[in-house]
Amino acid sequence: MDEHLLVRKIDMGTVIDHIPPWKADSVLRLIDLENIRRSDISLVILHNVPSRKYGRKDIIKIYKHHISHEETDIICLVYPTATVNYITDWKVEKYKPKIPERIVGRIRCPEISCITNNPREPIKPRYRVLASIKALQCEYCDTLIEFDRIAELVPQRKAV
Amino acid sequence: MWALGREFPIDLIHTYRGLRGKDIISARDLSREDLETIFRLADYYEKSPGSFKNLLKGSTVALLFIEPSTRTFHSFEAAARILGCEVISIRDPSVSSIAKGESLHDTIKMIESYGASAIILRHPSRGASLYASEVSSAPVINAGDGSREHPTQAILDLYTIYRKRGSIDGVRIGFLGDLRFSRTVPSLSYALALYKDIEILYIAPQALQVRREVEVYLEEKGVRYRKISDPTEIRRVLGEIDVLYVTRLQKERFPDPSDYERLRGSYTVTPEILVLAKQGLGIMHPLPRVDELSPELDSTPNAWYFDQARWGLNTRVALLSLVLG
Repeated sequence: MDEHLLVRKIDMGTVIDHIPPWKADSVLRLIDLENIRRSDISLVILHNVPSRKYGRKDIIKIYKHHISHEETDIICLVYPTATVNYITDWKVEKYKPKIPERIVGRIRCPEISCITNNPREPIKPRYRVLASIKALQCEYCDTLIEFDRIAELVPQRKAV
Repeated sequence: MWALGREFPIDLIHTYRGLRGKDIISARDLSREDLETIFRLADYYEKSPGSFKNLLKGSTVALLFIEPSTRTFHSFEAAARILGCEVISIRDPSVSSIAKGESLHDTIKMIESYGASAIILRHPSRGASLYASEVSSAPVINAGDGSREHPTQAILDLYTIYRKRGSIDGVRIGFLGDLRFSRTVPSLSYALALYKDIEILYIAPQALQVRREVEVYLEEKGVRYRKISDPTEIRRVLGEIDVLYVTRLQKERFPDPSDYERLRGSYTVTPEILVLAKQGLGIMHPLPRVDELSPELDSTPNAWYFDQARWGLNTRVALLSLVLG
């Protein structure tokens, strides 16, 4: 089944493609949804559509909104197969993700005794990215998180 | 004129600015110059304790200890009083607002409003001191944040090595015991990375080996280290090291009490090991000990741990005077 039969092309917005199958919800948790809950924005999720490269994949299309480069960088760090295209007037700009130096919020520290896991404290987790060893390091507790473990540490969010 | 003045170590309190107003969260925050300045003042405190009397009169030091402590609490309290500071202490969380559910954020804000010039914090959560330093405008000194770090212990540990050996460069140190949940082992490892030709051996069962983040730091700094978990190899390496740093099993940090019971008593240092050791091996321990260090060692010249504990006062007098001077 062709994804184009399910969802039409968009003239303006963001397409996040090649997300591992059934991981689109996790990707959404990395995007600041509060920022895009405007009445003129639509968001479509395609789960488990065929992919020539990976067999199956998820796709997210966000109409009339460009997610930030920072958000794209984090998505691509968590899911390295993901690609993000920004569409403006039907023109497609393929964004080449950069490895961020730092990530604030979005990811829960796996160390249970880390101060960021204390629900009484008004605090956002903060990580430095150690690209040479493919890991994040919690700035508060020093715990290392390998890149391939990040996805499981994206907190669950209530439905929009 | 100032050149002459610098001959008196006490003047360092006014002239050395490297630590003034600084948060001490991690041993990684310290430079070699910071440590050597602390050591000079700590030496001077031993020679002339009266010179430090009331030097910080008018300052207030808050001791916020949300976890048990004997040596660290009392040595900081004594140091603050020697320097003439007012001391506010919250020691027993069960009788403070913390027991009512007050956040660390609010507790720090409250202490700050009482005019604290510095906050000395011990807390069970890793990263609590960094967080407190972001909340507080007064400098925060980490007196132990869970199993993460204990930088002022590293200062007194290094001071002990310097006093006993005359130099820290070139030391070969073996850490033995619970390295996984220890906070003193990471801090001392980070601080040792400031010195030349250091070699560190981490001697522990696999389940208690040093945490990966410490290894990553040492690799980045080019410090030689080895992990040893084979009991037969332990006896061999004893002849290679200058210092044996023993830690207790951190019972309170084991997520599973059965793991603690299984590993309890798995290592004990006794006088018999001295036969295998290098002459002059120094044995250190952050104390309290449980059963990992035989009391029979206490009377040997190899037992450095009581001097080590005693020098906690010297180094904390020096540190407080440089942070608040």
